[in-house]
Amino acid sequence: MDLDKLIEQLYNGNHLAEADVKKVCDMAKEYFSQVPNVLSIAAPVTVCGDIHGQFFDLIELFRIGGKLPNTNYLFMGDYVDRGYHSVEVVTLLLCLKLRYKNRVNILRGNHESRQITQVYGFYDECLRKYGGENVWKMLTDVFDYLPLAALIDDQILCVHGGLSPSIDSLHNIRALERVQEIPLDGAMCDLMWSDPDERNGWGLSPRGAGYTFGQDISEQFIHNNELTVVARAHQLVMEGYNWSHTGNVVTIFTAPNYCYRCGNKAAIMEVDDLLGCSFLQFDPAPRSENSSQAKKVMPEYFL
Amino acid sequence: MSSKGSEEENEETLYPIAILIDELKNEDLQLRLNSIKRLSTISSALGPDRTRTELIPFLNESCIDDEDEVLLALAEELGNFVSAVGGAEKASCLLAPLETLCNVEEATVRDKAVKSLNKIATEMKAIQQTDQHFLPLVRRLSSGDWFTSRSSSCGLFAVVYPLCNNEIKAELRQTYGKLCTDSTPMVRRSAATHLGEFASKVEKEHVTTELINMFQHIRDDEQDSVRLLAIQNCVAFANILSAKESLQYVFPCIKSCSTDKSWRVRYMVAEHFRALCESMGPEVVRNELVGIYVKLTQDTEAEVRTAAGVKIAEVCSLIPKELLIKDVLAPIETLVYDKSEHVRAALASDIMGLAPALGKDDTIKYLVPLFLQLLKDEYPEVRLNIISKLDVVNQVIGVDLLAQSLLPAIVELAEDKQWRVRLAIIEYIPLLASQLGVRFFDDKLSNLCMTWLADSVFSIREAATNNLKKLTEIFGVDWARNNLLPRVMAMSNNSNYLYRMTTLFAISVLASVLNGELIAEKMLGVALNMSKDPVPNIRFNVAKTLQIIIPRVEPRIVQDQIRPCLTVLSQDDDPDVKYFAAQALHHVI
Repeated sequence: MDLDKLIEQLYNGNHLAEADVKKVCDMAKEYFSQVPNVLSIAAPVTVCGDIHGQFFDLIELFRIGGKLPNTNYLFMGDYVDRGYHSVEVVTLLLCLKLRYKNRVNILRGNHESRQITQVYGFYDECLRKYGGENVWKMLTDVFDYLPLAALIDDQILCVHGGLSPSIDSLHNIRALERVQEIPLDGAMCDLMWSDPDERNGWGLSPRGAGYTFGQDISEQFIHNNELTVVARAHQLVMEGYNWSHTGNVVTIFTAPNYCYRCGNKAAIMEVDDLLGCSFLQFDPAPRSENSSQAKKVMPEYFL
Repeated sequence: MSSKGSEEENEETLYPIAILIDELKNEDLQLRLNSIKRLSTISSALGPDRTRTELIPFLNESCIDDEDEVLLALAEELGNFVSAVGGAEKASCLLAPLETLCNVEEATVRDKAVKSLNKIATEMKAIQQTDQHFLPLVRRLSSGDWFTSRSSSCGLFAVVYPLCNNEIKAELRQTYGKLCTDSTPMVRRSAATHLGEFASKVEKEHVTTELINMFQHIRDDEQDSVRLLAIQNCVAFANILSAKESLQYVFPCIKSCSTDKSWRVRYMVAEHFRALCESMGPEVVRNELVGIYVKLTQDTEAEVRTAAGVKIAEVCSLIPKELLIKDVLAPIETLVYDKSEHVRAALASDIMGLAPALGKDDTIKYLVPLFLQLLKDEYPEVRLNIISKLDVVNQVIGVDLLAQSLLPAIVELAEDKQWRVRLAIIEYIPLLASQLGVRFFDDKLSNLCMTWLADSVFSIREAATNNLKKLTEIFGVDWARNNLLPRVMAMSNNSNYLYRMTTLFAISVLASVLNGELIAEKMLGVALNMSKDPVPNIRFNVAKTLQIIIPRVEPRIVQDQIRPCLTVLSQDDDPDVKYFAAQALHHVI
């Protein structure tokens, strides 16, 4: 299969044919089934948070951070739902992953799930763009295989949500049976749902899944596992990034003007050769560009 | 469908047709659509007679309840079907299905059906008794119970009217008058939309007596969605009427619309202002319309001011310079300080266009201060819109004055927080450089260019890199050797791999404008050194860069220096480095 051609097609804002999606998904499942739960990644790498179907802002991200394969990327999940172009976002990232296996990595977020995508838009988008649920089924099947965490030079742990009371060490994550729908509770669920909090200890999450964890928890975990930082996404932060727990935890959010109305900046974190972290903030891609492209990708359903 | 020819022949010709016709009834919407879009294939296989006697009645009966998408495709196809049914003489059989389509709920389908009917009527014009087919159709539609048919009928008057005798013409005018005051706003909207077109076909004596009344009804309609259609009719009527009649009948309408209580109507006046000016003639523009335009620029609604703002250059090009300076400049200045950023952005996108109308001295006197203010605007799009049109001003006042008056502001923007503003400036640099000369450039701009090469945003680094080539073309190879290369090559030691990569991109870009000697002497060594970089991304970009250099340097250098380096890279641990090194090695021999 000519991945370059598919990538080009997606860069131009046109979603893939169902048959191509199937091929990409088959390749992706085969590839990800060989991948460990915790990826080992070498710096330098640019770390990105939630995208949520904001395709034109993903393209803007590449204008800011640089193109593949020249820049290395790690995406920390939540590619789908909310935005209008989840299908394009997730298929582009899968194609890029398969084409440049050593240059880009993608983790699973709490929205990479059958249950959540039926509520927050991805399922409907697939139905609208492909006239059936096949594409949604294929892609959510791939989601089951996505890795849960990444470790940059043994020092920076990257995960979509946060920590879990069931996880003391990275070995606990490595031992998880990950190829499944995200469970409603337990370690795997917490990795994708938890949030840092100002209160110490573990707390009940207002989200109804995962936990909140205090600075004492993140300090202990970082110390036990000889880490420097936990990088995560999952929460809207107005500046696009936010340090918490006195520098133990950093939140990165990469959907500018989230849901097309929150007014927040997006950010990416460039981890340089020496593990120095710098942040690049950006605004949504210009609206005119958005709408002209949006017309082009108008599904047959509307015509 | 029955068959006429021999059994065998039929089997052969009808087989694919049978499939297409089957697909017309298929459950899958996409298949039905495809089939409709290939109706011409079906008809050419059937021949005109059977198309007329079998296919058209079939379509009329079975497709008419289909989904809107199918109906839309059908409405479009039928408009191209005249030759398929045997030419203009037989085309009247197409009217029945299109009439049905004129009655459906979905407006896009109705519009398409009306368009197709117009097309068919135009082709049938030459045929005798065309009015016998179209007149009853228009009568039925315009007196239909449901608003959809009456609304569709409005689009047919213009094509039918010229075919009729005087008595019927009078009837048609009267009917149209009724449509203009129909109880349903949708019908009045359609009547208003097509009135100008109808008026162009009606004898002038009736325009000034009967149609002008309809026009006034539209202007006074209780619905603003109808009133706003009056403006396009103003243009149409003014084009038909004499200047005096326009002033008498049309101008009052423009005036009342420009002070309408609904901003959407006022917006339409601003939106169509150029066309209004052109149709009303220069005298009315000078005496009346300029005043209206000035009021629109000061409208309470930002949308109206925005629409007026983007029209400034074209409106001002229609009025004499003295009037422009006397009456229009002051309101423009208030727009520069407008509280809505959209208004300011709209103005900024167009204000440069005033420069040619004002000429050099007055541009400097009146406009440059406004440009400077807009360049300082807090909203990036405003700044960007000014910068992207600098060349227009350049043509009027010359680059020296431009540099004197605007350069300080431009240099400030070179460090703008918004990367798109920086990008716009970068794209303007080669032009500035070529006009201002090397000394000025080295003095004022070269440091900026170097800063951009290490910008945190990739697109800025990329654009700045591409600029290096243009600058070398402008200032020459020696300049590049002494001023550019030392600083660019020094970036290969940056601690961040993304900035080290800029050196490699620069080498690739410059290789096309520098001679082989200089490449070998100043750049090749740096690239080769970088092949030992710990970051794989740098190493495979070394391979890509070497591939570009290969045809530019002597074969001996390729064999002695480039080949060994690529050979080592082709054994690298990283698959991407291996891949790009192997690619480059293909170019060695």
